Amino acid sequence: MSALALNLRATWGRAYGRLVGAFREPTWLITDAILPNLGMLAFVMLYRALGAPRSFEALAVVGGLLATYWINVLWGMGAQFYWEKQSGQLQLYFVAPCSRMAILSGMALGGFLLTTARSAFGLFLGFVVVGVRVEPFSLPALLGVFTLTMVALYALGMVMASLFLLWGREAYHLSNALYQPVQFLSGLYFPLKTLGPLGIVAAGLVPLGLGVDALRQVLLGAGAHALLPLRFEIVALVVLCAVFLWLARVALAYLESLAKREGRLTQRWQ
Amino acid sequence: MRALVARLRASAWLGLQIESNWTDPFLFTAYAITHPLATALILAGMYWAVGGAVQGADTFRGLYLGSAFHNYVVMVLVGMGWMIVEEREEFETLKYVYTSPIGMFNYLAGRSLVKLALATLSTVLTLAVGWFLVGLRWDWAAVHWLPLVAALGLGVFATVSLGFFVAGFAMVMPRAAFTLNDGIAVALYLLCGVIFPVDLLPRVLQWVALALPFTWWYEALRRFLLGHGSSTLLNAWSDGALMLWLFATTLVFSVAAHLAYLALERRARQLGRLDQTTLF
Repeated sequence: MSALALNLRATWGRAYGRLVGAFREPTWLITDAILPNLGMLAFVMLYRALGAPRSFEALAVVGGLLATYWINVLWGMGAQFYWEKQSGQLQLYFVAPCSRMAILSGMALGGFLLTTARSAFGLFLGFVVVGVRVEPFSLPALLGVFTLTMVALYALGMVMASLFLLWGREAYHLSNALYQPVQFLSGLYFPLKTLGPLGIVAAGLVPLGLGVDALRQVLLGAGAHALLPLRFEIVALVVLCAVFLWLARVALAYLESLAKREGRLTQRWQ
Repeated sequence: MRALVARLRASAWLGLQIESNWTDPFLFTAYAITHPLATALILAGMYWAVGGAVQGADTFRGLYLGSAFHNYVVMVLVGMGWMIVEEREEFETLKYVYTSPIGMFNYLAGRSLVKLALATLSTVLTLAVGWFLVGLRWDWAAVHWLPLVAALGLGVFATVSLGFFVAGFAMVMPRAAFTLNDGIAVALYLLCGVIFPVDLLPRVLQWVALALPFTWWYEALRRFLLGHGSSTLLNAWSDGALMLWLFATTLVFSVAAHLAYLALERRARQLGRLDQTTLF
């Protein structure tokens, strides 16, 4: 079998495990899909209580939908190796003949497909229950921007997974600590432009903010209160995709050898 | 009494070690306040974003205040459910705690003290963010101190009491405890008028909201600190009636939660769930 075929099979194998595993634990559907979207509903209702223009409700819905992907990237990508370490499976990944990047790509693919299926609940809440509306939009533009956002976001997840190889409980706490601040710095529930220069800096570090801003521009037009023109954001997302994928590869190789030297790959409860 | 204090102190100390010994105190403090601070900043961001378009800045401030005190519910009530998950699933020590002379109830009570301290810090910081960034101000001379302190005490008592109920459920349902803990946090966020008035809920859910002590708690805190509530529906109740409902719902829920905890703990033991790990 060629190296490419082996790695593609490893990618699919890891993605398959994730997809099948989710159906074997249906209660996680509530944690991963329903609860974050219900949280989004609270922010929509706040805008309604304040008498804000309806476009702000749509802003919050788009942000809420992307929040489910952010949860998946944090816990399903970043902290995944921590869980694997706890369950004693991490070493199996390292004795497998495939590339570690293939395994990470499989985790990303499986997580992305699963989260996309689960976003249906958020779409239902936003467009049917709350009744938000968007402007007429271009489907290819939407799919293009969405794909770029997801590649950049999951590539960031791969970088985080590499870092977390080295860590124990810190990985868990870091994921916990990053969840809400990144939502703030990415402007998930308000236009990123509101943060001024801080928004631009944050957008350059975490692709979630740029992605959500670009998606809002495609869906809401002027109602998006955009940070930068759409074409700039697309270029920036492409750059972030390349940077994070490269970083993930480098970080994984370096941190794997460091974790082996320090004997941390099989260390539990630390 | 002295033995009880010693047990509470020992479990609180252990709780602090479990929560914080993975890093240094400075980093731990920063970690502990990150989540509530970011939540406060999200609300501030929303407020800045709508700017002059909002109809009621006072309404927003009232809702922001509710969000600040909701830190107690998230960190203490839901946190007590997470204690069981951690002890059983992650550290696999629940069975040892259960068989130790300290007793499960005292252990949970002691650990909840640490959560209470962290929640208080988070609430103060959230209020400070509100004070400086979104104009959440109150007139110190106009604050109704006595009812405010009484309401605060009742709310904290209700939070810890219901925390035992959540912990009991987490004992009986090993795998589903994850979902249950998150679900309770979100449900209470939506139902108790934390960041939007209960008036916006469908009628059936309004009745559910009125049955929960936290709905009355947040409204009482708003009235006695800011001088106004945030719900047209709850405005129909006088201050005295509001306190009476807060007291009544707290009493009913606390007694029910205590009895339920004892029954659930017994049930978990009967079903062999105290050392049943399902995640790792």
